[in-house]
Amino acid sequence: MDASERQYSLTKDAFNRLVANKLAIIGLVVIVLLILVAVFGPLLTPYDFLSQDLTERNAPPSAKHWFGTDDLGRDILSRVIYGARTAVIVAFSVTILSFLIGIILGSIAGYMGGKVDSFITWLIDITMSVPSLLIVIVINVSLKPTLVNWMDAQFMATHNEFWRNTIIVDFGIVFGSLALIKWPKAARLIRGQILSIRNKNYVIAAKAIGVPTPKILTSYVIPNAIGPIIVLFSATLGEAMVLESSFSFLGVGVRPPMPSWGNMISDGLRVWQVYPHILAAPAIVLGIVTIAFSFLGDGLNDALNPRQWK
Amino acid sequence: MGKYIVGRLLRWIPSIFILLLLIYALVFFGAGDPIKLIFLRAPGDVAYDEARIEAIRESAGLNRPFPVQFGDYISHIIRGDFGNSLVSGRSVNEMLSAAVPVTLQIGLTAVFFLALIGILLGVIAALNQNKLIDNLIVGFALFIWGIPVFVSGPLIIVFMVMVIGADIPYGWSGLFSPKVIVPLLVLGLNPMALIIRQARAAVLEVMSEDYVRTARAKGLPSQIVVFRHMLRPVLIPVFSQLGLIVINTLNNSILIEKVFGLPGLGRLTESAIKDSDYPVILAIVLIFSIVVMLSNLLVDIMYPLLDPRAEYKRKGGEE
Repeated sequence: MDASERQYSLTKDAFNRLVANKLAIIGLVVIVLLILVAVFGPLLTPYDFLSQDLTERNAPPSAKHWFGTDDLGRDILSRVIYGARTAVIVAFSVTILSFLIGIILGSIAGYMGGKVDSFITWLIDITMSVPSLLIVIVINVSLKPTLVNWMDAQFMATHNEFWRNTIIVDFGIVFGSLALIKWPKAARLIRGQILSIRNKNYVIAAKAIGVPTPKILTSYVIPNAIGPIIVLFSATLGEAMVLESSFSFLGVGVRPPMPSWGNMISDGLRVWQVYPHILAAPAIVLGIVTIAFSFLGDGLNDALNPRQWK
Repeated sequence: MGKYIVGRLLRWIPSIFILLLLIYALVFFGAGDPIKLIFLRAPGDVAYDEARIEAIRESAGLNRPFPVQFGDYISHIIRGDFGNSLVSGRSVNEMLSAAVPVTLQIGLTAVFFLALIGILLGVIAALNQNKLIDNLIVGFALFIWGIPVFVSGPLIIVFMVMVIGADIPYGWSGLFSPKVIVPLLVLGLNPMALIIRQARAAVLEVMSEDYVRTARAKGLPSQIVVFRHMLRPVLIPVFSQLGLIVINTLNNSILIEKVFGLPGLGRLTESAIKDSDYPVILAIVLIFSIVVMLSNLLVDIMYPLLDPRAEYKRKGGEE
């Protein structure tokens, strides 16, 4: 067979288009590196992210401390690496959680139609048009102290070490509240995909000749619906990461001493005129990661949504 | 049209009511006792004097059941009274009337310029499709789309002060002071990416339309083709993003007003969050929702004027 006439599968075709896009590949490499750093974080950090060296406070970058140290003499590189852990954990949990909600509500709306559909669509519209950042802030500010106090009381009563893990509460509320504002996009997408694919001729034809439903789903519906879902998944990962650092920047997200790039930037802003390196490291790293997501998202969009081709 | 607007407003009121109820409930059941919150900050040990706390609560009507208090709150809001701040004791109305104009001026100016520059860049990119300048503009849009404002803002300040040696753009002295240029830039950049991409895609789509080809074929200069035949179809998708841009700008103002020392809504929100000043937070949630709702309504009203096909469809016509 002539090379130019060789047939490619859907995935191979999309993959080829993605690889041809240099910016997308750069983005992908940065994100894979970020995930690796997050997973193997404790093995990579030169110092403990909490250990303070008060003789070396606010030290500029050097061979000993690549990114310098902060106002408590903590190694900034180690803190940035642990910040990557926070960012990746939050991004994946929020994205998976919001997609779970979105898939459930979106497919209910798409399949049931009628009143259920209009109710869910109304819910989606409302959630998308409220000032989401503020809502999440209110949830965090009002629930977190109460829950933490409650856990303290439990610890005093039972002396069970479990109640000391207030980080779980911190992360739990951040995940939950973020997923609460992130699900509508997923739900709307899934609903739209179900509505449009269900009535496509090839699905109707497959049904008519008696193809079993699981086979219809795996061979026709999912391959045709998956493209935009992957694009949205990658975009949501990036957005969740930015939101997490926004909240920590405002002081309502993940709380110190747990490092997050957001609270590191907020700390750095107080002293940047004297010690700019404290601000620079987390700000530049967060900037690079968000740009990487933007590049990858664009590349995925071009590769997986060939109908948008111009 | 009037009937349509009233209908929209009527549908919006229940959702805003539910939103306020949810937040009020969160604060009421989640955040704990407002009296205690006030006196924990005040001098003296009042916060630990149960009898006095109870007396104050009694006199402020805070020991009434939840529905009564919420109803009271709503009836005050309807009369335009947002209550008093828990921290300073000042009236929230006063705090808002000081803060809203600052954010409003900066936000509107930023949206205006970002739309103008964004459309221009998008059109230029599309007219030079796949040439170097197109790639540069698209790359620029991708670049600025990702960066959060609390990263770009500080980095621009550090760059200005350390490299150029400029003064720190801090504080507010009116819209026409050069200090607002950097905050405007930072607020505008992020949503501008959206406008560039929308405008570029729209121009590319319109360029393949028959009437544009005809205009070109009959020898119209390309500037006239762009302005007379393309501008309107390009403005529609850009305009439809207004709601998203407004939400974006409001959210971003919370994040950057602190950085630039602007005494606007964002700054007020930030300090209210830090102090758990719930009357202020509730008022801001309401204002933000009203602004977002109004901008969505504006889009819906203006849309048929820009694109008569939409009006036709809404009245039940077939496409």
